[in-house]
Amino acid sequence: MRQSNTYIIVFSLILTVVLGGLLSGVSQVLGPAQKKAVDLDTKKQILGAIPAEKAALQSMTPEQILARYSEVISSVVADYNGNLVTTNEKGEPIVAENVNIEKNYKKPVDQRVFPVFKYSENGEEAYIVPTFGAGLWDAIWGYVAIAPDLETIIGVSFDHKGETPGLGARITTDEVQARYQGKEMYDAQGEFVSIEMVKGENHSDSELGANKVDGMAGATLTANGVNSMLKNYLGYYQSYFDKNVRNANAMTLNNN
Amino acid sequence: MDLLNLGIKSIFIENMIFAYFLGMCSFLAVSKKVSTAFGLGLAVVFVLGMTVPMNWLLNEFVLKEGALAWLGADFATIDLSFLRFIMFIAIIAAMVQLVEMTIEKYSPSLYGSLGIFLPLIAVNCAILGSSLFMAQRDYTIGEATVFGFGSGIGFFLAIVALAAIREKLKYSNVPDGLKGLGITMFITGLMGIAFMSFMGISI
Amino acid sequence: MSTETLEAPVVKEKEALLSKRRKKFVTDPLNDDNPVTVQVLGICSALAVTTQMKPTLVMAISVTLVLMFSNLIISLMRNAIPTRVRIIVQLAVVATLVTLVNEVLKAYAYDMYKELSVFIGLIITNCIVMGRLEAFALGNKPYDSMLDGLGSGLGYSWIILAVAFFREIWGSGNVFGYPVFEAIGIENFPTNGLMVSPVGAFVVLGFIIWVQRTKTGYVEH
Repeated sequence: MRQSNTYIIVFSLILTVVLGGLLSGVSQVLGPAQKKAVDLDTKKQILGAIPAEKAALQSMTPEQILARYSEVISSVVADYNGNLVTTNEKGEPIVAENVNIEKNYKKPVDQRVFPVFKYSENGEEAYIVPTFGAGLWDAIWGYVAIAPDLETIIGVSFDHKGETPGLGARITTDEVQARYQGKEMYDAQGEFVSIEMVKGENHSDSELGANKVDGMAGATLTANGVNSMLKNYLGYYQSYFDKNVRNANAMTLNNN
Repeated sequence: MDLLNLGIKSIFIENMIFAYFLGMCSFLAVSKKVSTAFGLGLAVVFVLGMTVPMNWLLNEFVLKEGALAWLGADFATIDLSFLRFIMFIAIIAAMVQLVEMTIEKYSPSLYGSLGIFLPLIAVNCAILGSSLFMAQRDYTIGEATVFGFGSGIGFFLAIVALAAIREKLKYSNVPDGLKGLGITMFITGLMGIAFMSFMGISI
Repeated sequence: MSTETLEAPVVKEKEALLSKRRKKFVTDPLNDDNPVTVQVLGICSALAVTTQMKPTLVMAISVTLVLMFSNLIISLMRNAIPTRVRIIVQLAVVATLVTLVNEVLKAYAYDMYKELSVFIGLIITNCIVMGRLEAFALGNKPYDSMLDGLGSGLGYSWIILAVAFFREIWGSGNVFGYPVFEAIGIENFPTNGLMVSPVGAFVVLGFIIWVQRTKTGYVEH
């Protein structure tokens, strides 16, 4: 009886229903907690781009982080031309924190949306922009905090999916990320050049200048990935900055 | 051109064995003789080449967030990705069974040399791993197919090469405790170093 | 031996909860019959996640839990499973358990979930799990099967933790992410990049197997 086709089919059906039901139940129950975890992770990374905040993040509980985030960050979303958008093509509202940068990255560049996170705390301000690109093995991404002069980098936070541990994976360490602080993305002539991580390690500051940071020994290919990621994304955001920050500043100046 | 690049990457640079350690069980267990390793390798290439694109279809049109949009707007927000593991493994197990039955019926000689490995393949991590990587990396159907075959060929090369070395190793005087698995580990490590030299190549 | 008398059964015919026979289920896989170093099973994940101890510990716990409960469930159903579809039934049960682990990690330990990524899913095809189901759970009582799963899980765990210990301390100078060498005053400990790469895993495991087999006297022919 155990080997008959009917028995097998009935057995498989029951098993499928039981297991499927169990799994969907669990996914329903855990869904909210998972959404929260993803949300927390994003917000942690955004705050992490500001060096002062990053140091404090270590000792904060998830609730404190979320509270801190809503206290100091406000967000907008711009399109490729730098115009602010509030709804997607289906007419649903876009929330900057929910924009999936990886999915966006797959779209042609002029159809992507570009979230901007404005940080403001005790008169200190920064624009935090997400970046995404390909490292040596897999995706790399990060958040870059730019000072209100729109030239100086306040700080960065990078993460990666599968760079070589001890080599390319060092982009996640404070040591490497601190190298970006205070660097500028415009050269002396006022041209946008982004920030470049050089090949090799232990260059002196005078050798590097304002537009370059010290490299990671043995991880030049990851560094190249980081460089093109920064160049692309900081470039994309120039139109947003032109339209919404520089223009706005110019207008207030005129009014005065 | 991108596809060719991906193919070469999945065969040499991101070799299933040396870069991700996937499929190690059968890699170590079935690499004592070149002829059997050859058979298993072929079977893996075949199954990988079939299951990765099939799982791609499943993932794209059923499991992914918003994948059910083709059923109507109401279904557009459903996310079934929590069923990914169980569905992928079901497809793989079913495919393996199907392949086994087909080969048994139409080519008994091939079945004789390949058949015994087929049940082993259903639990080969390289097969499920490739499907999971494919889903995680959001490949297109073309990329998924190339990636599937590429990973299979990478596994094939690795296992045949190891079997060839192990055949020669029979004539070496290996310390007792190191015989078998131990020395195989070291050899695999050394082969891994060789494969590392492909790292960073982009075409 | 003392545990045996301490846990003496109330009903005489019933076997002790931790009788000598049952203790063997747990202790055998730790050394003499270790799933990784002797039976050559479950190597994939043993190597892939062991660059650091923390993810390794999570992986070890996950595998042990999956092993115990899949053994238990399959053993409970052993008289109902049709032989012809038994592999796929086993896979379905294991896949469900692994999905549960995955979902829980995603909800409550998101950092670990990100770090382990596909390797949690690959517990499904961990040969130890399928091996124990086929070899033990299909023919034994639920409680015994669970102990057997626990034993194999622990045997697997200590091996991968040992591999991770050596890889992390030599590869990045840490233990559980804690910089031990800096703590005892050795700055600039020369870390070895080979240890964090796949190659390091093979070499470390090779040495562990060598040491262990020399001790137990097991020789493969």
